[in-house]
Amino acid sequence: MTQSAARVVSANVDGAESREPTGSRRKPVAGGWDRAEIVAALILLTPALVLFAVAVLYPLADTIRLSFFDVKGLAAPKYAGLGNYFKLFADPTFRNTIAVTLLFTLTTTALTVGIGWVLAVLCALAPRETLFFRFVFFTAFGISDAVAGYMWITFFRPDQAGTLNAFLNAIGLGQLQHSWLGDPATAIWAIIATATWSGVGLPLLICFASAQSISKSIIEAAHVDGARPLSIMRHIIMPLSLPGVRVALFINLLGSLRAFDVIYVLTQGGPVRSTETLGFFMFKESFAQFKLGYGAAATVVLLIAVLIISVPAIAQRTAGAK
Amino acid sequence: MKLTTLFSTAALAGLLSGTPVLAQDITGEVTLLTWKTASDLTTLHKVEAAFAAKHPGVTFKEVIASFTGDPRGGLRTVLLGGEPIDLIDNTWPAFRAELANAGLIRPIDDLWAKENFDARLDPSWKALGQTDGTTYGVQYIYGDRSSWYYLNKTLEKAGVTPPATWDDFLGQIPKFRAVDVTPVSLPAKAWAHGEWFETLLLRVGGVELASKLARHEIPWTDPQVRETLLKFKQAIDAGAFADANTVLGIEWDNAAEQVLKAGTAGYVHIGMWVSQYSADTFGITPGKDFGLTQFPALGLGHDDTSTVDATEYLAGASGKNPAAVDAFLTFLTTAEAANIFAADGYIVPSKEADTSLYNPIVKAANAAVSGKKLSFVFGDQLPGDLVDEYRVQLQKFIQDPSEANVDVVLAAIEAKAAESY
Repeated sequence: MTQSAARVVSANVDGAESREPTGSRRKPVAGGWDRAEIVAALILLTPALVLFAVAVLYPLADTIRLSFFDVKGLAAPKYAGLGNYFKLFADPTFRNTIAVTLLFTLTTTALTVGIGWVLAVLCALAPRETLFFRFVFFTAFGISDAVAGYMWITFFRPDQAGTLNAFLNAIGLGQLQHSWLGDPATAIWAIIATATWSGVGLPLLICFASAQSISKSIIEAAHVDGARPLSIMRHIIMPLSLPGVRVALFINLLGSLRAFDVIYVLTQGGPVRSTETLGFFMFKESFAQFKLGYGAAATVVLLIAVLIISVPAIAQRTAGAK
Repeated sequence: MKLTTLFSTAALAGLLSGTPVLAQDITGEVTLLTWKTASDLTTLHKVEAAFAAKHPGVTFKEVIASFTGDPRGGLRTVLLGGEPIDLIDNTWPAFRAELANAGLIRPIDDLWAKENFDARLDPSWKALGQTDGTTYGVQYIYGDRSSWYYLNKTLEKAGVTPPATWDDFLGQIPKFRAVDVTPVSLPAKAWAHGEWFETLLLRVGGVELASKLARHEIPWTDPQVRETLLKFKQAIDAGAFADANTVLGIEWDNAAEQVLKAGTAGYVHIGMWVSQYSADTFGITPGKDFGLTQFPALGLGHDDTSTVDATEYLAGASGKNPAAVDAFLTFLTTAEAANIFAADGYIVPSKEADTSLYNPIVKAANAAVSGKKLSFVFGDQLPGDLVDEYRVQLQKFIQDPSEANVDVVLAAIEAKAAESY
């Protein structure tokens, strides 16, 4: 057994790690690590680093490189400098895309996390009795967005073959029948409804776990002090489950910002571009029109938007980590 | 002399003698790139099987590009992936030009002359398969894109017969409305609403107008283009379609279902694939249950025009089996292949096709385009980003067909066209 392998890692009383070698210690090379440890660490890290480089760094670097080229169809790329970026921000279609993306992302996130949180808090009051209920909601989350889209397209169809319109007709509200996906004013809300239905399972699960981690002694103490279930929910469970809400918000914001599948299936960005989000715009430019450089520039803009949201959140959580 | 040297010498002598490739010489795998699915793919399998029966050593590997909307994205992705492709299925002249410019397809002028394709395909089909004077494509099926489909019983219910003229059509609208049937299903969710504009454009200004506009030799604000939209407006104002929000929510398959299954709409203006699709999907019989009629005559001097689409095979430059490809392209022009397509409901350009195999719908379409001045699908001739803007602006026109908005819409398309060519 090597000296490093024999290292015992233990935690001291305040949680900080301390390393206690079992035998005589080699001379440290850097940061308290000896050469053998550094070599071992590098060998162990190599597969992950290679995978990260191939799957993340290379595509990222290549996308950024491509965004500086004018590529149309299968023709040879021409260097365009920042041309694609200037064109992008002068493009009224792209500006419309930004507005649609903001509406979709903020609304979907607010609804998904809001509903998920409320359901989680209610479930936390009776965890055993709501097991099936939580399972059903999480199953919806497990359905891919594309499949969910195909399910909902039948629901929203404009004619009598549409479930929603047929239902409205059946209950005597035929005057409310509508072309939900054909009207620019309602199409985006139909997509938000679909995305919310599909996405509410994850915040429900995260917030429920957060609520379950609240010490039982706190809730028991509240019971002893005569607090009613609603008060316990409002003053204990809801505030103490907020860390879960923050995680759910973060995940949903990123997911909504990149949304594509459900939009592609339900409306293909229409009617008249009323549901064209950044993710769909990127797809259309890159794969439908095969303007790969222009699409890559849109991808970089989306990446920056994702970084703006994720870096502060990750930094905050890292700073808070012990 | 060693045995291997003897074989090598014999092989070299064979090559130098210029002997035509014999059936037994053609072997190996042929990789075929297509976007076809469902009944189209079934027919392709029949053709492949017939070819393989003649050349038992040949097998086919199909690479099917997935898509929703425009299949070219999927085809490009496969081609950029670098897999050697022997045959490419294509229906867009602009895409052929893109492939030729990128060096991804090889010319077949020599093959055309050697196998005397001219004996089986009219010169117009050769011209349709050319880019900058070089022949790349062998057209094997084509379709009439200026026709309307209808269900016989729906027309009987409304008490009408297919309209011969525009005025006949406008006169039928109240009759359809009286029996609670939408006169025309207009699928405007993605691209199919362009069919109306494109046929009207031909009938207003002829093939020359459409050709000039496609090449942007005239602006979109041209008075004849404006007149085209005003004809479209006339149909909208007369109540030919459902309300704008409804038509913007339906795709061509929904429209086919409304017309050819549910009978909630009278006509749908769409391509010929809907014939086989409807027969397969709705279990209706061409001629007996449903029919096809040509777009009504406008009386503006250009009713002898039709839009057509055509599908061709291109020889991939990266292919590993050019001998089998050449044999397959030749086979496509023969009676045997043509009759497989004809029996499955396609119109075939080969003069060797047995036209008695055509079903009543195909016969009607074939008769309708024979002797007409033909124009290839207009939208497929436009640059990619322009066609997207064109379709969106047509949606805006459908939302608001006022004369003022007609000018706004045409100006917007013209602005995009100015930067697209």
